[in-house]
Parts: sequence; structure tokens; C-alpha cells
Amino acid sequence: MKIQKAGYHGLFFPDLKISVDGYHPEAEIVFVSHAHADHMPRNRLANVVATQPTLDFMKRRGFSGYSSSLPFFELFETDLCSVTLYPAGHILGSAMIFIESGQGTLLYTGDYRIPPSPATEGFHAPEYADILITEATFALPIYKWKPHEELAEEIRNFAKESLNDGFTPIFLGYNLGKAQELMHLLAPLNHPMMIDGAGHKLCDVYENHGISLGSYTAYDRDTCEGKILVGPGTGFASHLSKTRIAYCSGWAANESRRTQLTVDKLIPISDHLDFFELIRFCKKIAPQKVYITHTPNPAVVEYYLEKEGIHSMYLDLEPEPED
Amino acid sequence: MNPNLRTSSLIKNNTFQSYCRVLQIICETRGTNSKINKFADCLKSFENNAELFLAAQFIGEGAFEEISGKKSSVGSRTSALAAAAFCEIDYDRVFKPCRTATGSSSETIERLMENVDVAVQKRDPKNLSLSDIKNIFEELYRAKSRAEKEAILLETWKKMTPVEIKFFIRMLGQGSLRIGFENRSVVASIAKAFGQNHEEVRYAHMITGSLGKTTVLAKDNRLSEARFRLFHPLSFMLASPIEARLVENFEQYIAEEKFDGMRAQVHVDGEAVKIFSRDLNDITHSFPDIVDFFKLRKLPPVVFDGEICVFKNNTILPFQMLQKRMGIKKPGGKILQQYPVLFISYDLVFTGGMPVFDLSLTKRRLLLEEVAGIYKLPITNQMAIMSPGDLEMLFQRALDHGNEGLMLKLKNSPYEYGQRRKSWLKVKRPGGSLDTVILYAHAGSGRRGGTYSDFTLGISVKEDERYEEEFIPIGKAYGGYTNEELTLINQRLKEITIERYGPTLRLLPRLIVEIEFDNIQVNKRTKAGYTLRLPRFRTIRWDLGPSDVNTLKDVEQLYNKKLEIQPDHKSLNSSIIF
Repeated sequence: MKIQKAGYHGLFFPDLKISVDGYHPEAEIVFVSHAHADHMPRNRLANVVATQPTLDFMKRRGFSGYSSSLPFFELFETDLCSVTLYPAGHILGSAMIFIESGQGTLLYTGDYRIPPSPATEGFHAPEYADILITEATFALPIYKWKPHEELAEEIRNFAKESLNDGFTPIFLGYNLGKAQELMHLLAPLNHPMMIDGAGHKLCDVYENHGISLGSYTAYDRDTCEGKILVGPGTGFASHLSKTRIAYCSGWAANESRRTQLTVDKLIPISDHLDFFELIRFCKKIAPQKVYITHTPNPAVVEYYLEKEGIHSMYLDLEPEPED
Repeated sequence: MNPNLRTSSLIKNNTFQSYCRVLQIICETRGTNSKINKFADCLKSFENNAELFLAAQFIGEGAFEEISGKKSSVGSRTSALAAAAFCEIDYDRVFKPCRTATGSSSETIERLMENVDVAVQKRDPKNLSLSDIKNIFEELYRAKSRAEKEAILLETWKKMTPVEIKFFIRMLGQGSLRIGFENRSVVASIAKAFGQNHEEVRYAHMITGSLGKTTVLAKDNRLSEARFRLFHPLSFMLASPIEARLVENFEQYIAEEKFDGMRAQVHVDGEAVKIFSRDLNDITHSFPDIVDFFKLRKLPPVVFDGEICVFKNNTILPFQMLQKRMGIKKPGGKILQQYPVLFISYDLVFTGGMPVFDLSLTKRRLLLEEVAGIYKLPITNQMAIMSPGDLEMLFQRALDHGNEGLMLKLKNSPYEYGQRRKSWLKVKRPGGSLDTVILYAHAGSGRRGGTYSDFTLGISVKEDERYEEEFIPIGKAYGGYTNEELTLINQRLKEITIERYGPTLRLLPRLIVEIEFDNIQVNKRTKAGYTLRLPRFRTIRWDLGPSDVNTLKDVEQLYNKKLEIQPDHKSLNSSIIF
């Protein structure tokens, strides 16, 4: 199967005349795995197929091209191949793209998480694929996530303790996905929340798809004291003296983030699967070939897959800057 | 859960494991006072004095007591290789990229021990006590070969949890535990834990030089027993480096010329003489000429602080000469004749039967001058500074004398032993400056983990027929930049990276940095043929481009200019009074 670059981060399959996660002038259709900026095509000429939530997010983030929605597990047929979307557990609407053609089957994971984020449609993968193209953001054995319930408890306890001690808790997390997952986990506390403006305009998509986010409003500097604050930046509520900050990201697993960001707590909750789940998933799919993308450490994954008898190689794309 | 409750319930059983979990909690706590409270709780929970001693020592001094002068012989490579073997992972292909990602070898080991199945299966935590750990440190200290050390490490880690392993390695490294807890805070915790006066605890610590002893004395209400004793070394007062133009309130300081010698403390009482090095080791046997010098003079009990220099024909000779004497335990007659040394005093901390470190420098100086006058001892010349112009003049004169630069000492400061503060400043003139271009960026480790903080700097050889490249490396700088500048550079790196090798980025030659350095030396093994001593950032030249970078020819010229400067020894008598 021929694979070329499409746009900045995407892939183009010339034999099938389709691309994933990036515009290519020869692609008749662009399948989009999810609505994070590094996966979303911006070209107005792109003819996008994606899940409904992904399209909703893309439109709110400025995409104005032609698009049609494809529900999970439903077959989309072109002249050259048929495509099915599988829930990827990364953010709401995130999908793995499964492509069947005369050249066999191919699974492109986009970004994914096992076990899935509770603020998504879950995770479900096909049984097998001849070719697996997988992200490997956290592709080192130092990355192994704690059980999700334990992290959820940490998050709620951090909010509760801060509020009890008279501090305003601030959760640092990316505006699409992480922020809403945090709100979903914090909702049972029944305490008013405020979310960064850019994240706020994406929240109704979650609620429309049945994910409760508690009671929240857009961040307002003058009235934010004593609320639970969720947003991407450290400049948040900088006028308040009594705040406690938790950095919520897979990168929070690295102790160096503590001093780099001067935060009170590091909560390693990631939108991506950890190294051990990644190897397990590759073994389960048992493809003839694995292509690794979105990673600073492809050699480590290749080394471990080789030990499992799985042939793999790095698909040379830029590493992803945002968790 | 209330974190305070958690701390005290953790440490009830006083194992190394519970102790390390307290260290981890301290690391994760923000605010010095909360940290101090947590460690005070921890100290209070120890009933056994031997264990309490170690609890204070391990957090502040590491595997061995500072005053023991012992240093671990387990390098970070040894422990990393042992950890890779323990986890059964490939050192080069797996361990190294993990370490690059975390920026810390010990953190990498902790997480692999936690995550990797084989490691989890091998580990069976045995609730080791702090004394058990002390014995293991001693065993490692005695071990000679790397194989022997590795065997001890592997055996020890089987009995530990990951957090124990992390702190065990950091203690062994004698560096910081990286939990944001300085010795000042340990002292505050001791005072708080046992309801003692903070100043008395601090004093006891300064005298004993031992956190362990201080804690036990505080607990047993025996702090008054901590007294300075002759022939027991006292930690040295240290100087902070500064640039001449940054000195404020210069009129509150006096200046002395800074000799390129070896710092030492001399304890004398009649014919008894002992010499201690800066790391508090007894080096008396290495300098019999100094011992004889003092024996002859039959002084009353005095402790001097000063510098050992090679001194011949009324001239202080360069440090390179002194190096011939260093490390020789019993120098023979020939060496003594070729490289005679002199101890030049500049301070005293004990005289007239009592410690005088609480007196101001001005008062100590009067006492020093008195003793030196009676017994004919060499002391430094002190000079007043009236204006910034004086500073410049004195500095130039020190360089003309062949000395390193100036020491500036705050007139009303006590002798702050064991401290490196702003009371003593050392001013060294940069040997020169160059506009260079950053060729490579290297990821930092430890506190600088996660950022690119070390930079390989290049000079231009574009029009140099001897080279084919445009730029060749001239040195590597680790500092001199502000945090803001470092952030700006790191932001820029992404755009100009050409290649990545592990922790190193190869860059397009775009970032121009003005650097300064102490000295240029010929070094045939490098591409440029020269190395810079202590290159550091002076400023980032956003206004300059690759064509403005200094050339190798410029470096050669600077070097040749330096050779022409000859120390002027004739006016030596103004460096010291003898």
C-alpha cells in the first residue's frame, strides 16, 4: 500500500484516492479521526467525512468546507475501498479509521486511548488488520497510567481539599477533550465550574451527545474566585492569591514538569494509551506490518514489537506538540 | 485525606520505606513552611537515636556524613546499568531514551521499577530500617570493582519499593534529593520537632557540621554541648561569584586579591598543627613545610583560614605548580625544595580561647593582624573601596600581580561557615568575549530536566582554508542566561532543528550568542585547536546573524594577545603583608 503525506500531519493513500487527517489535492475524501488541530484539515476544498461530534467541533473551530457525517460501525463505500469508523476513546467523536480494499485491510488509529475516556463513546477496535498505523505519543516504558478511578479520585480530592482550605482550584488541561473530561469527573461534586472561553464554546457538543459536565459558565476574571477553574494556561486567575494548580496531562508523569510549570499537583491523566497498552494492542491486532507515527521514540516501539515478532517501521511525520 | 495525617501515620513504623514516602510528600508539597512541618513530624516519630541521626543525615547530607569526607564510589552510570540489568531492558535502546524523556536517571529507574513486570516480580520489599541502609552504603563504599558494586545494588533493590530505590540512588549521589528542601529547612525542622530555639540549633549545626549529631543533641536537650573544638575542622565560609559591574554598596566591602591557590584551615596550638582542606579532610601530612613553619613560631591556640600557595623567591607561583604538591601524601625532599609552599591567612575563627566567628570581619581582622604581627605570619593585604573606579583599579592591579581577581568581603559580616552567601564575593574578569552561533542544543538533567539548557557554540571558519565547514565548535556553555532567555531559546529551537540524536538537537546556525570565558587554552585534540575555559552566555544577540560570528582567526589573536601579558611580580608586596 502506497502512503504519502497529506497536509501537515495527514496521510494520503494514492491507490485509494482518500486521505486521513489532512488535505491532499488528489484525495476525493478526507476522513478525519478527531477534531484536534493537528488532525483537522483546514483547506476549504477538503471533502470531509467524520463522526457528528467531530464535525460539530470542526465547525466551531472554523472549518467551512464540505462535510458529511458517518456514524460509528457504518460502512462508507467509495469506488476503490470501504471505510468504517471505530470509537477511539480519545475525545468525544474520536474515531479509528478502518479501510478495506483490494489491497487488504488497514487500521489508522488516529489518537486513541485504552481504556477509553469516560467522556467519549468508548473504545472498540476491529479484530484484525493487515496494516496498523498507530500513534505512539507515550512510547516509553516509563509511561504506565494509574487506574482511571484512582486518577478521578485524585482530581475530585484536589478540588475538594483546595476548596475546604479556602483556595480556588485550577485544573490545567487542553480546551478540547481534557477540559470536558475533567468537568465530567468533577460534576458529581456539584460545585460551580468555570471553563476557558475557547473550551466553553465546545461544551454543548458534549452535552448534546449525552455527557454531563455539571454546572459551568465561561471563565470570568471578576467572579472566578471560589469556583473550580478549568483551562489550558497558567495565566488563569493570576490576580487571585489563594489558588492551587493541578496540571492534568500524560506529560505530568514527568517530575520535571513540576518546576517547569510551578504547579501544586501533577495528575498524569492522558488522552492517549500508555506504552504497555500500545504493545498489547499491536499484539492483539497482529498485523503484517505496523507503521508508527506521532512519537519522539519510534525506535523503542520498533524494538519491542520486533521482540514480539511484529514487523514495524517509523512513518516519518512530525511529532505531536500537544497531548 | 489530610496530608498531615498521612505524614504521621506513614512514619509510625520508621522504616526506610515510610521515610522515603515522607520525602516524596515533601517533594509534592509547595511552601517551605508546610515542608518543614512535615519533616518535623517525621523526626518526632523516631525513638531510636541512631535512626533519628540517619533521618536528618540522609535528607541533608546523603549517604555519608559531610564531615566524614567520604564520597560514594557508585557513579550514575553504574546505577543506570545495574537498573537496566535488574529490569532486563536494553541500556542503549530503552533506558537511555527513557532518561532523555525524564531528564533524570533516578526518576527513570523509579518508574521502570514500578512499571516493568520482571522488576515488579523480583522486588519483595523487606521494610529495611535506616540503619540497614547505612550499612549498605558502607558496603558499597568498601566495594572495589564495578561488578561487586552492581551485585550489591541488585541485591538491595530486591528488598525495596521504587520510591526507596529512587532516593537511595540520590543519597548515594551525595547531590540534592531534589525535593526542594535545603539544609536550612532541615535545621528549622529539627528546632520545630524538639521545641528548641532555632538559633541554638543552627549554631550547633555549624559547630558540629553534622545534621545527625545536631538532631540527637536537640532531642536530648543537649545542644549546649555543641562547642567548637580545636583540631576538628569547621565548614568553610564560601564566596559567590559576581561580576565587578554588578557589585552594589561597594563601600561596605573591603577587597583582597584572590590567589590561585588551595583553600585550607590551619589549627595550631604550640607545636601541634593540623591542616584541613575545603572538604574538611586532614591534609597535614601533605604539607610538612607548613607544619614546620607554625611549629617554629609556637603560637597559642588559633585557627586560621587562608590559602596555600607555592611561594618561591618572594613570588606566588601559578596554581599549576601547586598541583605538583596536591595528592602527594608524603612529599620527598626534592619536591619540597622545588615547590615550597606558604600558607597565607586571611581570616581567623578561633583565638584567645574562644571561637570568634560571630564577630564582624573588621574585628576579626584586627585580631588577625595582631597575631600575624607578633608571630610574623603572612596575611593578605586588605584594601578599602571608595568608588567604582577603585574597584576597577584594584582589580587591574590584582591581575597585574598575576592573581585571579578580587575577593570582596562585607565588613560587618560574621564568619558564616558552611554558607555561600553574598557576604563574600569573588570577582573574576572574563578572559574575553566572542560572538558565537549555537550549533547543538542538549537536554538538561536534574533541575533542568525537560529543557534544552546546554549549548555547543561555534565560530566561523567559512573563509578559512584549513576547514571545509562553515562553523566549527569552540566550546559548550551551560549557563549565564536568564530563565526568560532560556525559554525564548527553547521556543526557537523547534523551528531550527535539523536533526535529533537522543538528547541532542543539531541546529541551523541561526542563534547568535555573545559569550564570555575565563581563558583560552591550546588544545590539539579539538577541531578548533583551542578550548575556552568556563564559556557562558553574556547575552543573546537577536540583532546579529550568522555572518557576524567571530572567526577562528579572532580566537587565535585573542590567545596571542594573552601570552604577551606577563605578571608583574615586582609590586607583589601589595598582595600580601609578610
